[in-house]
Amino acid sequence: MSASLPCLGYGLGLRSAYYQQILDQSPAVDWFEVVSENFMVPGGKALYYLDAIAERYPLVMHGVSLSIGGPHALDPDYLQQLKRLADRVKPAWISDHLCWSRGNAHQLHDLLPLPYTEESLHYVAGRVRQVQDVLQRPLVLENVSSYVRSAGDDFSEWEFLDALSRLSDCELLLDVNNVYVSSRNHGFDPWTFIQGLPAHKIRQLHLAGHSDYGDYVIDTHDHPVSDPVWALYQQTLDYLGPVATLLERDDHFPPFEELLTELQKARELGESVLARRQKCA
Amino acid sequence: MRLNEWQQSFERYLSGASSAADVALGASLIGGPTLNVRTGLAIYHNAYQARLQEVLRGDYPAVLNWLGDEEFERLAAAYIRQNPSVHYSLRWFGKGFEAFIRQHLVPEQSAPLAELAALEWAFTLAFDAPPGTPLTVQDMAELAPQDWPTLQVRPSPSLQWLECAFNSVALWRAAKDETQFPGGTALDSPSVVVICRNELVCQYRSLEPQEANALKGLFERDWNFAELCSELTVIYGEGAPLQAVTWLKQWIHEGWLQRGKS
Repeated sequence: MSASLPCLGYGLGLRSAYYQQILDQSPAVDWFEVVSENFMVPGGKALYYLDAIAERYPLVMHGVSLSIGGPHALDPDYLQQLKRLADRVKPAWISDHLCWSRGNAHQLHDLLPLPYTEESLHYVAGRVRQVQDVLQRPLVLENVSSYVRSAGDDFSEWEFLDALSRLSDCELLLDVNNVYVSSRNHGFDPWTFIQGLPAHKIRQLHLAGHSDYGDYVIDTHDHPVSDPVWALYQQTLDYLGPVATLLERDDHFPPFEELLTELQKARELGESVLARRQKCA
Repeated sequence: MRLNEWQQSFERYLSGASSAADVALGASLIGGPTLNVRTGLAIYHNAYQARLQEVLRGDYPAVLNWLGDEEFERLAAAYIRQNPSVHYSLRWFGKGFEAFIRQHLVPEQSAPLAELAALEWAFTLAFDAPPGTPLTVQDMAELAPQDWPTLQVRPSPSLQWLECAFNSVALWRAAKDETQFPGGTALDSPSVVVICRNELVCQYRSLEPQEANALKGLFERDWNFAELCSELTVIYGEGAPLQAVTWLKQWIHEGWLQRGKS
């Protein structure tokens, strides 16, 4: 089970809107997750705050541009920069997404879904191994939200993640909100998804808000976490045991206190589930 | 469809002008109970455009302030079509906006707008440039008297140099302060603006021609301190060394200088 992996506790996505408050207030946040690309710069404010915050809190690196499933060769410059940043930050782990974000010709800057086929599986697994060789550690891959899926899939998304983790030895970042969003958009049972994953490979959970348009849901990260996602989170923790939990917010940034209150909610719900779980064990 | 072929088709769709997909791409996908393929694809298409538009709005707020939302969106959409992103970081997507404006618009319109874009891009370059090792007042205090004449300096890595023919600084200021837009006008004579990050804050200053010439001599003609004083004698006579020291102190205070080859 995931309890065999170290659990960092309850963390927040590090965003520039909150840099100074984090240094001024030293809030009760167990760890921060940084978007790797935001710090792949030669100097300036971002790196200053990164170094200062890294002195006080454990950090995890979370990328958006690896494009592990893209049709292009892996970018050696990107990988070297990622490695250099990891040497600086000393993250507890490094994650990105199971997706492609760059095409043959251009960068597409989105977390695009892959066809879940045998061809994709072997292609992505080979590339994961290449990345792991550079980083000298397991890569942690996150499930993305999606709005279309390939008609020629050989696997469900969860079967694909399971097979990929076995083939490549990668670990998983389970985004509970993304499972919910995709389950609404594609009409599958979110719990079937979560139970279909290899629990011992789940290194981290993500929580975030979305925009619900009735007929479909978009993963916008600009709202508080919704009630159905909180419920799924509790069910997930009950199933997995302690796993590092990260609250993400990427737009419509609320006052920092509001975000801390939301993180506290995650902590209270999580601790309550884990305490109950321990009693029953 | 093979993976690579499918991805090419998806890429063409995302970067195309229309949110309607071709038949083959549409047929390769399935939707959900209440989300059809056309809407699902349009979510990706809209997100691609919106994300890149947002980057340009963030990098060029003064150009946006000048053009207004609709005209900026049209200009940005044309830029996105002609200059798809090639760097993994969105930080570099707006790099070619100034050059694009010069090519895309008629010269009367493009010249002041492109200069404003260049000014805004200069701020972004100063913002995350390498820190370098700026000269400090302490360094100067410790400089032995015999080393002063041969002292050479070079610009700090974040220093950006812009020759303005228009009132771009006033336009930038108005956008930043959210004050009334002053309107674009040509300056009576071109003016040099230096932008540099000092500690963590980006600052700008317009230079008088004499100060600009002095800095240019140091940076481009490798003058040492003695040569600077000698050049300034033409204008300042016996006061040249005092003027040179005064400027040097100010430039160091502003974080503009690093030690050069000596």
